[in-house]
Amino acid sequence: MRPPFRFVRLGLVWGGPALRPRAVLARFGPAVLGLACGVLALGPALGPGFALRYDMVFVPDPPVRLPGGFPRAVPSDQVVALLSAVVPAEIVQKAILLGLFTLAASGAAALARDALPGGGIVPRLAAAAFYAWNAYLAQRLLIGQWALLLGYAGLPWAVRAAAGGRAGRLTVALLPAAVGGFQAMLVSALTVLPVAALRGGGGGARAVLSSVLRGGAVVGVLSLPWLVPALGSDAAADPAAVAAFAPRADGPFGTLGSLLALGGIWNSHAVVPGQEMPALATARLVLAAAAVAGFVRLGVVPARPAWWPGLAAAACAGVLVACAGAFAPGVPRALIGWWAGFGPLRDGQVYVAPFALAQAAGVAVVAAALRRSMPAPVAAAAVAVPMLALPTFALGAFGRLGTAEYPEEWRRVQAVVNGDPAPGALLSLPWSAYRAFPWNGGRVVLDPATKMFSRPVVWNDALVVGTGGGRRIRVAAESPRARRIGALLAGPAAVPLTGALKREGVRYVLAGGVDENTFLSRLPGATPVYRGPELLLIRL
Amino acid sequence: MLKVLAALAVGAVLAGVASVAVVNVAAPTAEPPNKPLYNYGDR
Repeated sequence: MRPPFRFVRLGLVWGGPALRPRAVLARFGPAVLGLACGVLALGPALGPGFALRYDMVFVPDPPVRLPGGFPRAVPSDQVVALLSAVVPAEIVQKAILLGLFTLAASGAAALARDALPGGGIVPRLAAAAFYAWNAYLAQRLLIGQWALLLGYAGLPWAVRAAAGGRAGRLTVALLPAAVGGFQAMLVSALTVLPVAALRGGGGGARAVLSSVLRGGAVVGVLSLPWLVPALGSDAAADPAAVAAFAPRADGPFGTLGSLLALGGIWNSHAVVPGQEMPALATARLVLAAAAVAGFVRLGVVPARPAWWPGLAAAACAGVLVACAGAFAPGVPRALIGWWAGFGPLRDGQVYVAPFALAQAAGVAVVAAALRRSMPAPVAAAAVAVPMLALPTFALGAFGRLGTAEYPEEWRRVQAVVNGDPAPGALLSLPWSAYRAFPWNGGRVVLDPATKMFSRPVVWNDALVVGTGGGRRIRVAAESPRARRIGALLAGPAAVPLTGALKREGVRYVLAGGVDENTFLSRLPGATPVYRGPELLLIRL
Repeated sequence: MLKVLAALAVGAVLAGVASVAVVNVAAPTAEPPNKPLYNYGDR
C-alpha cells in the first residue's frame, strides 16, 4: 500500500531520507531531549493534582474573566481558562510546563543549526540541553513564572523569524510570548527588535527602519491584550520594589557572577537547592565563560548568522538592565517614580533571557570544536554537562515542585460564589497575597482565590519581601481599591465594616484561618453561607 | 589522546561534584514553612 502523499512529501516513509536513524535524530532529537529534560526537572510536579508554587496558581474550572488592576496574568489566565473548558486544568498545566522545555530545546537546536550548518547533531543537542537546563529557567520555574517562561521558550524561534524578516513567521514565533503576557512580551521585544534592526541584508537605513517597524508592529499587535488594559489601569508602581527585586548573589561569585551564570534571582527561596555549592557554582561559571567565548567566536567568522549582532546587542542590554537594579538602583527607581510604566524594570534579572540564548548558541560552537577534536562518544557526553552543572534541578528541584489537590471546601465555595448571578466583588482574607497551606506541603503560593471566581476579587496585592535580620521591604499595593480596603481593615476592631465594604462593591468575603466569632462581630448583618475547616464564606 | 583524557577527567570531576550535591540535597532537611501567611520571599 502506498503511504499518504503528505508523508512522502515530508520524507516520513521508512527508508526515505527523513526516516534514516541519523535524520530522525537530527529532526526530533532536540525536542525529545527537551521533553526528557522537562520530565526530569518537573518530576513529582507531573503527578496527579496541581503544581502550586509562588506565582504558579492553576485552579480547577477556572473562569474566563478579565481581572481588574494591572493585567499581570493577561492573556495567560484567559487562555488557560479556555483550554480548561475542554481539558482538565491540571492536564493543561502539565502540558504547558512540558511544552516549555520542548519548545525551548528544539528552538535552541534550530538556532545552533543556523550557526553551524553541517555541524552535526552534537552541537544542536548541546545547545538544546543548555537552553532547557540552566539556572534562569530553573529559578523562574521555582518562582512559578510559567507565563514568562513561555516567552523564554519561544525566544529562539522569534530570533530566527526576526532575522528572516518575515512578519508572518515572527507572528507565529511570538505566539507563546503573546499568550504569556507582559513579561514574556517585554523580554521578547528586547530581543527581537535589535535582531530585526541589525540583521543586515543591505538596503541602508531605510531597510533597517522598515525591518524594525515591521518587528515592532508584530510585537505591538500581539501585546494589545495586556497593553490596552495596562494603559487604562489605575495601578500604581512603588519604586521601593527596585530594592526588593534587584538581583542578588546566589553563589560565591557575587551578584555579577550569578548573573553571568544565568542565576541571580532576587528570591532566596527560588534558587535550586545546593546551587550555592562552590564547586557547582564554579562549574556553571566556567561553562558560561566557555559559552560566551563560543558566542563571540561565532561573531567573528565571515558567515556568521544574520541574528548574531542583534542577539549580542540584546544579551548585553539584558545584562545591563539586570545590573542596573543591583549596581545603579537609582536609575530604575527614578524611572518608575517618573512613570509607572517602567514598573517591569524592577525585576531586572528577567531580562537575562537573551543572554541565556546567546550562551546556548555559544555552547553549540564549543561542542562543535570538541566534536572536531575528539571521538564522537566523548564529544556527545558534552550534552550532559548542563545537567551535571545543575544536578539538583532534577525531580522538581528535589521536591520544591510537587502537586496538591485542592480540599473539597475550595470547590464548594467556588460553586456557591460562581453560581450566584448577583454582581459584587469577593474580598479574600487574610489580608496577604501569599499562603503556605499544609495541604500544599507548605509550599508558598499566591492566594488561589485570585484565580477561582468569575467575579472581581479584591486581594492584598502589596508585597512583603524579607531582607534578613527580621527586616522587610514592603512594596505598596498597586490597586487603589485594595489600598482603600486595606485601610478599612487596618482600622479599629470596634468599627463595623459591612457598610463600607458594600460601598466598595464587595458582596462576598472569603476568610481563611479566622476566628469566626471575632470576625463576624466586625460584619454585622452579614450571612455566613459556608463554613469549613479552613474557609469561611460570608455574604454581605 | 591527551585531549580525550583531559575531557574524561573533567567529566569525571563534574560527575563526582554533581553526585555530592545530589546526596547533600537529598539528605533530610528541616520541615518546609507551614504558616497561613507568608512573605512573597526573602532576599
